[in-house]
Amino acid sequence: MRRYLLRRIFQNILTFFLFLTAVYLLLDAVPGDFGDLYLSDPRLTPDERQVLRARLGLDKPVLERFGIWLVNLLQGDMGISFSNYPRKVLDVIVERAPRTILLFLSSTVISYYVGFLSGKVLAWRRGGPLEYTTTIAGIALYTVFLPWFALMMVWLFAFTLDIFPIGKFLDPVLWRAAPVDANYVFHRILLTAVIGGLVLFVWLYFAQRLDPAKRRPVGWAGLVVVIVGAFLYWNTSGVGKYALDISHHLLLPIMTLTVVNFAGVMLLTRNSMLETLREDYIMAARAKGLKDAVIRDKHASRNAMLPVATSFILALAFVLDGGVITESTFSWPGMGLTLLTAAQTQDVPMVIGALVFTGVLALTGHLVADVLYAFLDPRIRYS
Amino acid sequence: MTDIITKSPALQTTPLATDIPVWRVRLRLLWRGIRTNVALFTENPIGLVGLAIIVVFASLIVIHPILMKSVWDRNVYDPVLGIDLAIPFHPAPPSPEHLLGTDPLGRDVLSQLMHGTRSAFILGSLAAIVNFIVATTIGAIAAYFSGVVDSIFMRIADLVLMMPVITILIVLGSLLNLEMLHLAIVIGILSGLGGTTIIIKSQALTIKVRTYIEAARVAGGNDFHIIFKHIVPNLLPLSFLYMTFTVSAAIAIEAVLSFFGILNIRMSWGVMIHTTQYAGYLLDMSKWWLIFPSSVSISLLTAAFYLVGRALDEIVNPRLRKR
Amino acid sequence: MTDYLLKVEDLTMHYMTRTGEVSAVDNVSFALRKGESMGLVGESGCGKTSIAATLLKLLPENAKVKSGKVLVNGTELLSLSEEEMRSIRWKRISMVFQAAMNSLNPVYKVGDQIIEALENHNMISSNEEARKRVEDLFLLVDLDPKMMDQYPHEYSGGMRQRAVIAMAMACHPDLIIADEPTTALDVIVQDNLLREMTAIQKKLGMSMIYISHDIAVIAEVSDRIGVMYAGRLVEYGSAKQIFKRPLHPYTHGLMSTFPSIVGPKRELKTMPGEPPDLINPPSGCRFHPRCPKAQQICSQQAPEFRDLSGDHYVGCYFPMEVTFDGG
Repeated sequence: MRRYLLRRIFQNILTFFLFLTAVYLLLDAVPGDFGDLYLSDPRLTPDERQVLRARLGLDKPVLERFGIWLVNLLQGDMGISFSNYPRKVLDVIVERAPRTILLFLSSTVISYYVGFLSGKVLAWRRGGPLEYTTTIAGIALYTVFLPWFALMMVWLFAFTLDIFPIGKFLDPVLWRAAPVDANYVFHRILLTAVIGGLVLFVWLYFAQRLDPAKRRPVGWAGLVVVIVGAFLYWNTSGVGKYALDISHHLLLPIMTLTVVNFAGVMLLTRNSMLETLREDYIMAARAKGLKDAVIRDKHASRNAMLPVATSFILALAFVLDGGVITESTFSWPGMGLTLLTAAQTQDVPMVIGALVFTGVLALTGHLVADVLYAFLDPRIRYS
Repeated sequence: MTDIITKSPALQTTPLATDIPVWRVRLRLLWRGIRTNVALFTENPIGLVGLAIIVVFASLIVIHPILMKSVWDRNVYDPVLGIDLAIPFHPAPPSPEHLLGTDPLGRDVLSQLMHGTRSAFILGSLAAIVNFIVATTIGAIAAYFSGVVDSIFMRIADLVLMMPVITILIVLGSLLNLEMLHLAIVIGILSGLGGTTIIIKSQALTIKVRTYIEAARVAGGNDFHIIFKHIVPNLLPLSFLYMTFTVSAAIAIEAVLSFFGILNIRMSWGVMIHTTQYAGYLLDMSKWWLIFPSSVSISLLTAAFYLVGRALDEIVNPRLRKR
Repeated sequence: MTDYLLKVEDLTMHYMTRTGEVSAVDNVSFALRKGESMGLVGESGCGKTSIAATLLKLLPENAKVKSGKVLVNGTELLSLSEEEMRSIRWKRISMVFQAAMNSLNPVYKVGDQIIEALENHNMISSNEEARKRVEDLFLLVDLDPKMMDQYPHEYSGGMRQRAVIAMAMACHPDLIIADEPTTALDVIVQDNLLREMTAIQKKLGMSMIYISHDIAVIAEVSDRIGVMYAGRLVEYGSAKQIFKRPLHPYTHGLMSTFPSIVGPKRELKTMPGEPPDLINPPSGCRFHPRCPKAQQICSQQAPEFRDLSGDHYVGCYFPMEVTFDGG
């Protein structure tokens, strides 16, 4: 297992460098370069232009420029954003990245968890109108045009029903008198979510070891503990209402992204379960006289999980794309929206920065998924 | 004792295999193969629904030029340059002259929709063809040569798979000037180099170990001959299958990018939505004809190709085949 | 009348498929005593595995038992509810599946899977007891007890087979059904395994039904042999009777198809034709299209399955008169 992990990490780093190379080649392949823009002042004489170009390092050979760019990048210097001038690209990323990470994590976790559960149950109960309707609904959600779907969500929940705000990150009016800044609050929210999630995960893991009878209530107790803990924390912190505001703005984007991902996961789990149920060891489990629920949950779903975990590795890219679209539709200032506006305003340093961030996020997600898969499949763990 | 066996009635009735000419046997097998596949395809209503939707949209492609030449006045109904000066305020709601109303610039929405269908099909087909060529060739080569070649391609595939396509295209769109043709090629290459290659490669691996490949090699065929004459034909069904998925993806991707205004395409469904947003009518439900026809069309056509692909999957994918 | 462990009476089971109703098991009757081993032999698709599945009531959804009774120690199985059946499965009757390699769940340790069966039937009260039990079972099938904590993919083919046999014996069932347990193994491993299985079976006094298409294997392990053709049991008798004096033309044909080392040289025969389509089986006796002794009555009415001499049953109007020497 350790060897597998190390190998995967090494491969990931390799891929990352391949990625950075590809990005730079892309940059370089674009006709004209940074110098043309910067030095387009018509008052400059050709000689002056030449000198300035040399000063900027634009006359050096490709490999050298790549080297400089790479070294700078790895030190965190990605230049200054044109559209957010004079902020550094890195600062913008540091500000916006946690938001996208929260959006990504929460929607992925929820959609996979709920999707897996429902797919599992759905596969077990074959036939009937339920299967038919869910398949159709699933395919519909899977193929619907995401910007339109997001728009419909906004129109329905925000515009018509007025349950959620129409977009944006927070309500400026409310925050006028705020003692702290939004990032401060947001980081706390992210931390609450992550810590709460981890605690719950560990709690449930140990609950599995107990008797089947005690498992359920202990599990629910864990959830209650986490929620109460979070509640207490925010109540005593004094900035509770601001956190609530941000969360309020968060909910609809998360919901939209989750619903779309959920459909795919559910359909995939169902198909995976159906295939797993055809396996001999399921027949053997039945022959052993085990109860249906045990066969479904312990034997079948554990194996059905594997293709779903693999699919996550592939679906990662789609979730990231979905995030970009969702953020844009809701004008929610995460990295996705940043990428888009930077592209629309030709803010090249920012675009590259956002691209690198996406690459890092994708790679990390990939690595986590690989580790998770190795953990789930003993054939990989012990070979 | 021998008569127990030789007198058996079963021996009298089977015809000898040498009586029927080869070409007729081949033809019969082909016909039977087609019949079974069509039967398999129609078994699943999903495939038929998808096919029906595609046919409906395809008919729009044919109808549009006919309409433009006969009933519709070019100046008014041109999807890009037309404008109806008779109506004072645009966007105008649906009316007998404009069945789906007009957009903020005074152009007929139905005409745009039909024109967009053509762009969608062309874009999709182009991307699919590029995907097919790239994935099949690389998949077959990687499987055949294995070793370093295989590793390199798999690393590239990993990289491509990992990256979100729309993100990359947004970046590309900001740096370059992307038109329909460029977009189709890029989508084709990206999807071809990514997941499709991996799937085709694993299929090619199962073919490579079959004995007739061994036989071809012993008979002295050179590498490329074997790849293209023996391996690739067996990959074709799977490759065709993934073409449908590529079309589906291409249409959706173009729509999103045009909606963001990244592309240099004059008229497509995505552009229709972009125009609406630009004019500020995006959330205005009273002007529903501005976003519903285009969005629904995008969703429907994407779904249609996906459904056809799934139905084909049942026939083509050796793993799913219930035989 | 000695007491029978298993009595199957007129069992008929059909599969409902899209193309028609498949008559997979038709009017099968046989009985097995305690401690006896029975071999069920026949071509692929003749219904042997279907019978096994029916006995354990592990049929797929489209299968229907049309008639018949299955009595195990007096308890009629077919009328039991699913829940009652669950307590019977594995405890009274257990099974070693065809291609048993795949009947182990790849994500759980082998020992745990056996312990699961023990727990399910309340045969142990603590973890230590469970582990001790598994250790004993492993030693019985000649497996290193330390392998208990390994995963199936870490076992070799032969080891997996032994593990599956150990699992089948875990709850000390009265009857074990072994469906082609050695098909996937090479001959040497096969031979060892068969010898061991017979030894264990005799030692623990269990009954066994051995399903195979390979007569040689059946010959080695069975006290009694049942021959199946196209869903029907055509002959049933002791191993000696079947080999020395096969009555049914089909059985006779089967015996002619493999060479014997002793006795005069004779020509190796094959049986022409194919097993029939079970959706539209031949009328009357299902073997009549391929039978050299077939007469008109054979195509009109199915022959009765009756005891011709000393517990030797056959379903034929014109049984063979010839005796076999050697083989």
